[in-house]
Amino acid sequence: MRYVKWTFWTLVVLIVGGFLHYTLPQRDIVRVVNTYQERQDLHDWTRIFWAKPDDQSTTLVNRDVQFIQTVDARGRPRVYRNEDTGWSWPPYFKFDTANLQTEAEDLKSTAEAPKWASVTHYGWRNEILSIFPNAVAIRRVEGPDVRIIPWLNIVILSILAGMLLLLWRMWAQFRERTIEPVLEDVGEAWDKVDEHADQARGRLRRWLDSWRAKPPRT
Amino acid sequence: MIALVRLLVVGLAVLTVFYWLIRIYSRSLRREKLEKRWEEEGAKGDRDDYVRKGLEEYDASIRPKLIVLVYIVPTIVFAVLFYIINFT
Repeated sequence: MRYVKWTFWTLVVLIVGGFLHYTLPQRDIVRVVNTYQERQDLHDWTRIFWAKPDDQSTTLVNRDVQFIQTVDARGRPRVYRNEDTGWSWPPYFKFDTANLQTEAEDLKSTAEAPKWASVTHYGWRNEILSIFPNAVAIRRVEGPDVRIIPWLNIVILSILAGMLLLLWRMWAQFRERTIEPVLEDVGEAWDKVDEHADQARGRLRRWLDSWRAKPPRT
Repeated sequence: MIALVRLLVVGLAVLTVFYWLIRIYSRSLRREKLEKRWEEEGAKGDRDDYVRKGLEEYDASIRPKLIVLVYIVPTIVFAVLFYIINFT
């Protein structure tokens, strides 16, 4: 039973944590090397990792997607897709893909004369599944070592925690004020029934006893 | 366009659920407070009357009206986010 409980909670943490890790914005400091556009097949289950920029895109089997190729300070490649998220999930309401592509193009630089930029993105890179994080914004920064405090994530996570706490308080209040009085009423009613039954049983027992053989008179 | 309609409908539904939960919760907290206060004041007069009068005062006050912020704040956040993401 303990293993079931632990497995359950591990799964919950993994799923919720994974979901937040995928959806919340993160920032990388990188150097843009190139941008390109490539036809993507979107007809298998990995479709869930691509955006739905407009209504028709849900029925399309393939379409062109823009990409931003970058390299981070340690020389590791980081490739982002650049897609509108539109009105659908995740709620970034991004419609400026073409502008972002232009900004990225403008920031292109070489290793010898690097221009560093912070790319805000959500999503995961996985080479085997061919999935890419979606770039949401790009901004020029001083150098590769700027410290970025994720204020937005702090705010979002605090609000989520606050909402959980509120829901928990609501549930406690509802239980205290609504469920428990009803249970008490039921308990009292049940006690009465029980008492009644005891009395009835007592009467029955006495009546039955009256039929029993009496100890012989001496 | 369908996605926008879906966003509006789902958003409105979620916010409405939250609005009612908070409304009921806040009123329940006030009722509990009134019941306790009645006891502290020495249990004078009818308890139900006392609580009812207190809740009428609560309903007329600004507090329950502030719960409408449940609709207003997310809408403002959405507008600001939309502007920052797409136009800055």
